[in-house]
Amino acid sequence: MVKEDTEKQILMNLLALSSVEPLSDEDEHQLSHLLSQYPEFSRDEFEKTTALSQIGFYLRDHTAHEKLPNELRNKILATYENSKLSKKNNFSLSIFSVLLKAFTRPSYAWGITAMLMIGLSYSMINFKTYENNYRYLPLKKIVLQNTADDLMQYPWYGKTADFENVKGDMIWSNQKQKGFIKISGMPMNDPSQNQYQIWIVDPIKYQNPVDGGVFDITKSDRELIIPINPKLPISNARGFAITLEQPGGVVLSSQPLLLTAPKERPKQTI
Amino acid sequence: MEITINNLFIYSTTTDSMVNTKAEKQQNLLAEVASGDPKAFEELTKKYGNLIWSIARRYLSNQAEAEDAVQEIFLALWKSAGRFDANKGSEITFIATIARRRLIDGLRKNNKHKILQSIDDAISDDVFKQKSNLENNAELSLAIGILETLEKKDQELLSLSIYQGYSHVEIAKLLNLPLGTVKTKIRRNLMKIREKINVDIKNVTKIYHG
Repeated sequence: MVKEDTEKQILMNLLALSSVEPLSDEDEHQLSHLLSQYPEFSRDEFEKTTALSQIGFYLRDHTAHEKLPNELRNKILATYENSKLSKKNNFSLSIFSVLLKAFTRPSYAWGITAMLMIGLSYSMINFKTYENNYRYLPLKKIVLQNTADDLMQYPWYGKTADFENVKGDMIWSNQKQKGFIKISGMPMNDPSQNQYQIWIVDPIKYQNPVDGGVFDITKSDRELIIPINPKLPISNARGFAITLEQPGGVVLSSQPLLLTAPKERPKQTI
Repeated sequence: MEITINNLFIYSTTTDSMVNTKAEKQQNLLAEVASGDPKAFEELTKKYGNLIWSIARRYLSNQAEAEDAVQEIFLALWKSAGRFDANKGSEITFIATIARRRLIDGLRKNNKHKILQSIDDAISDDVFKQKSNLENNAELSLAIGILETLEKKDQELLSLSIYQGYSHVEIAKLLNLPLGTVKTKIRRNLMKIREKINVDIKNVTKIYHG
């Protein structure tokens, strides 16, 4: 009994210390051994104590008035949205693998066929939605212009002689993670050979510009509105650029800049 | 049972129905976050962003590391929000526990000693208001009351360890104390706080639920 009390006391001491700092290998070994011997104790025995004490100190600290920076909050919200999307994608993949497995049983074939038909109808609806997304771009651009509190709007500057007469600008909101390009006078590209690619410069978060999507110019005389689709969450966009890349775009560009839309007018333009 | 005047005041302004409504609301926010409601997640960042940011800035001396840690904490909160059980503890304790685990991981990962430095973040009046709202929590009021019963030197020592993330070796150097003394004092005080929190929570539950 005395031995048990002593061991329990040692266990509590180790649990208390481990709640604030990693234990030495020897102590960690002893803790694991004692925990297996006394399963009524858990490793997180002191978690509530330390958590409550931590907030207690925070509330009593009259120098602790820091506000979560808005940029960081926006970044968190954008990461959350992106994580939700990838979670959905993972869900779709797992559904697909379940279907594949189920198809190996002939008795389920009819049921699966019916499900595939429903899936096909769903794809048709999705296709329509895709069409609608692009059809209403001017309206969506106006909505963003009127609802974003942090809207940035910069004109395009040509970087080579071929792009000297290009007109237009871009708008972007870090908060909404949305933006649009308005452009006219761009030279046409051959989609089978190359595509224009949008780049977003966010130097605080990323060392290299972030892929903002690809687009084609098949009629040069029209003014076009193109959505910016960043592949990573943007926290503080400082500028935008357009290059000509292989079809589908690239992750890192080695091509010359054709157009730029920086925060400040560049010293040298064409 | 040792209940301070501060705690008694808070109990006298709390009724059974208030306790229930508050618990329901708390459960709702985390339940809504768990269900994937973006507005609830935004509300979570508003309600606890300043607290988590303040603590992260004290734990991690580098601003970029603190930013990464805060992002990780909020994503961890979203992913584990479904595990919150209002019967086991308050929302804020659940949140602080997850935040603390992540910050300690951050410290271990960087394996870098914290450097004393001033924090020059934007100061906001809203934070004062938000802090008073947080204080209106029975578990927290108990914890604050208990911390105040500790000797000033012990409070300082615990604050350096729990609130500011200093290692035992760093605290020994800062306070010019033998390492063994630092460890013993932290351990004893943690055990004292734990015991008192458990006793006081049981007593409060008895007062309100018979």
